[in-house]
Amino acid sequence: MAMTTPKRLAITLALAAAFGGALYFALRGQKHEQIAQQEAAVTASTAELKGLIALDVEGYFKDPRVIKALAAKRLPANVLRIGSRDMASKVAPGQTPDFFFSSGVVAANQVVEAARRANLPATQMAPFHTPLVIASWEPVAKILVANGVAKPVSPKVYGVDMARLTQLMLAKKRWKDLKDSAAYDVSRSVLVSTTDLRRSNSGAMYLALTSHALTGDIVTDRATAQATALKLAELFKRQGYQENYVDGNFDDYVAIGIGKTPMAFIYENQLVRYALTKGGVGAEMVLLYPQPTIVNKVVFVAMNERAKALGTLLGSDPELQAIAVEYGFRIADAERFVAAVKPTGLAVEPRVTQVVDPPSFEIMAEMIDVVAKEMTQ
Amino acid sequence: MKRRVAALATLAAALLLAACGKKEAPPPPPPPKPAAEAAPEFNVLATSDLRDLEPLSEMIAKATGVKVKFRWGGTMESTEAVLTGEAKAAAAWFANAKYLLSSPQGQQRVKLQEKIMLSPIVVGVSESDARRHGWDKPGVKLTWKDFAAAAKAGKLTYALSNPATSNQGFMALMGVVAAAGGKTEALSAADVDRGAIADFLKGYKIPGDNSTYLSEQFIALQGTRANAFINYESWILSLNASGKLREKLVPLHPFEGVSTADYPFMLLDDSRRADYLKVVEYLKSDAAQTWLARQTLRRPIKPEVAARVEDVLPRQGLQVELPFSPDRALADGLIAAYLNEFRTPIASTFVLDTSGSMQGGGRRQQLVQAIHYIAGADASLTGRIAKLTNRERIWLQPFAEAPYGLVGFDVPASSSTAKGVAEQADSEAKQKVLADVRNFADALEMKGGTALYDAVYVSLQNMLKERAKNPRYQYSVVAFTDGENNKGRSLEQFKRDYAALPEDVRGIPVFWVLFGEANEGALKELAKLTGGQVFDARKRSLYSVFKDIRAYQ
Repeated sequence: MAMTTPKRLAITLALAAAFGGALYFALRGQKHEQIAQQEAAVTASTAELKGLIALDVEGYFKDPRVIKALAAKRLPANVLRIGSRDMASKVAPGQTPDFFFSSGVVAANQVVEAARRANLPATQMAPFHTPLVIASWEPVAKILVANGVAKPVSPKVYGVDMARLTQLMLAKKRWKDLKDSAAYDVSRSVLVSTTDLRRSNSGAMYLALTSHALTGDIVTDRATAQATALKLAELFKRQGYQENYVDGNFDDYVAIGIGKTPMAFIYENQLVRYALTKGGVGAEMVLLYPQPTIVNKVVFVAMNERAKALGTLLGSDPELQAIAVEYGFRIADAERFVAAVKPTGLAVEPRVTQVVDPPSFEIMAEMIDVVAKEMTQ
Repeated sequence: MKRRVAALATLAAALLLAACGKKEAPPPPPPPKPAAEAAPEFNVLATSDLRDLEPLSEMIAKATGVKVKFRWGGTMESTEAVLTGEAKAAAAWFANAKYLLSSPQGQQRVKLQEKIMLSPIVVGVSESDARRHGWDKPGVKLTWKDFAAAAKAGKLTYALSNPATSNQGFMALMGVVAAAGGKTEALSAADVDRGAIADFLKGYKIPGDNSTYLSEQFIALQGTRANAFINYESWILSLNASGKLREKLVPLHPFEGVSTADYPFMLLDDSRRADYLKVVEYLKSDAAQTWLARQTLRRPIKPEVAARVEDVLPRQGLQVELPFSPDRALADGLIAAYLNEFRTPIASTFVLDTSGSMQGGGRRQQLVQAIHYIAGADASLTGRIAKLTNRERIWLQPFAEAPYGLVGFDVPASSSTAKGVAEQADSEAKQKVLADVRNFADALEMKGGTALYDAVYVSLQNMLKERAKNPRYQYSVVAFTDGENNKGRSLEQFKRDYAALPEDVRGIPVFWVLFGEANEGALKELAKLTGGQVFDARKRSLYSVFKDIRAYQ
């Protein structure tokens, strides 16, 4: 196992954290004094920390072992699940929860932005992460391989050339138009299904990824953002109705199957968690790893010092990290993740090496805006 | 740039502004601990096709302590209630909520959602006909286009719930639009192949608004008037299992045109979030999922439970799903075109009680209001269904001591476009007819006795006569009364005379409206006899009952 890979991943993660981090430090400068005063008072407390969390981590927080571990560290948490995109609206002076745990960077940045406007301190941390992947089916993956869009990486694991796949989709190819498509010769267009990007983080990450695929680089300026989003809007619009809650797309993949979702853009942890819970996956379920892909951080936003201590604990305590793996997340210790998944029969890419960052918060907002407008027309 | 950011976080900003004036407040968010003792009811607005889930409320209470109380409604009326915030329920449960959830307004109303089970819409064809046409052979791929062609050729005659008010009816039309248009994605109103819709609707023989009513009709008319029932797979399988059919139905899944109901359970009232989560957890438990599969024949959302109930719900082959078009102009245009251009036009007589008792208690006013309503200009989702449609023929038959003063009105047809569908404004000619109907209602005077059965009898005779002249209409009678029959024919005489009418009078259902002191038992008996339905207007406004009846016509 090459030593460089985890390092690269770590660097990528650090970079990805930067735009939230920068904000934090800016805030921290202003608020430093007040925070220092609060610190002494809060650390002694054993009161429950109130958190608003995403569905992705609800199971984790309700896990008896997590509850026990947090209680032992005098950081018990009382959590309520809400949609990530609704979190920013819960930031209000005197009424803000102690922490948020959002499903991704976009929503977390909204929380931080709202906190900034309200003059409240906010710290981002990413205790777990998971790459965005395409959940698919063996016959579909083989068709993609036959057409030079994907290549087998290891048994039941495929790498997808995102640039080629994006071109294929924009060219409005139907499955039955593709070479060797007998196993899925339907007249539906080749499209990856996503959740509604106006409401969900993973949909937005799909836009980020396809924008990279289309331009060959991370979009950094408004003009390119607008032009690119305008071209990519059809990848959303042509899907027809898109689910607008986190698990909607994934639910369709596992429950309705290949007839509805030949390719579903999901967080890896969704399928890993499913495999770990059920002790396996459907015989033909396979993961396609976009090359490159985006690693999604499950972002913990602490609104005070005690919450910050909780966030740090989640990211460093070996037991808590091990439990996170059971919920499908990757942690800094990659070996541990791979070893945990292996018995389920779900094949995963041990190390996700080709990783890009999503564009900046402002550029993402710009692109989402363009696509959202196109979708309502 | 700043404005973009703000646009993304509109909600956040709005709430922040709202909170600006506040100072220190007690800490956040509400600990979800419902008072166990005096727990308030958890009202659920559910579509009426879910009626068979009633036993769940007891099961939920036992498992979670949450007292779920179901209230039933049609798809469109329930959608409208949620959109306008009038649902008065903690949660909503629809077969399909895509129409609701594709609007930003609907998304705002729905706080959380979770799919509970699955059932695809299938074309259930009588075994003998499926065999005769070779539709039951393995490997046969029938698309909605094929079904439209079969309907045109008279090979497929079906029962289906109203496309303007129900998910099944609407999705069947969408299936035809997609298959005939040769595309499944980004469908727009301009893509609608009008010929294919017209072909498909040639086979539409048994209309109605809820699956229970349609089943009764289908059981009575299978093999004579219809050979197929288009509905959820669960409904077809349940009918097969009921033993009431003359022959079983073969469920055919339209090739590349399957539309699966996914039954999202949706939280509307955020303050009931904790209870909602408990209910969802239970509904997705193995016990509830297994019960749903075995008792209601809907497919479990959890694949591992699905694997355990394969004895009743066999694994399906590749079912390619039809993407749902979120295009409102298409949906609204299709519904409008269905009502005003494509559907078999309605011809009906409204039998109106103008006896003396109608004078008091605001009864006259209610009746006049109800007639104004169907001859008015209500643009709401349900209002446009209640309203008189283009090409419709309506007779108003007042009665008191005896039937008198029959008047007929013909709503003109609209000029139809060559391609696509679109909502159209009322023509001047149509506005004139609507005004005439309203004026007629305004002039009604209430006095004298109640010769209900005479009035219904002459109306049926009139409808039979009209149908002989003009068979291309959907005939029915709506009988409205506020009291006991005390003039003219008695109930016994009516039944005898009804039996003496030509056999095919049964194709003209009589819908009975129960109002005031009308005789409930007699009306129920008559509804059965005349192939109709009783609508109770004693606790609801008369116009909302008229609205319901319109969906059956």
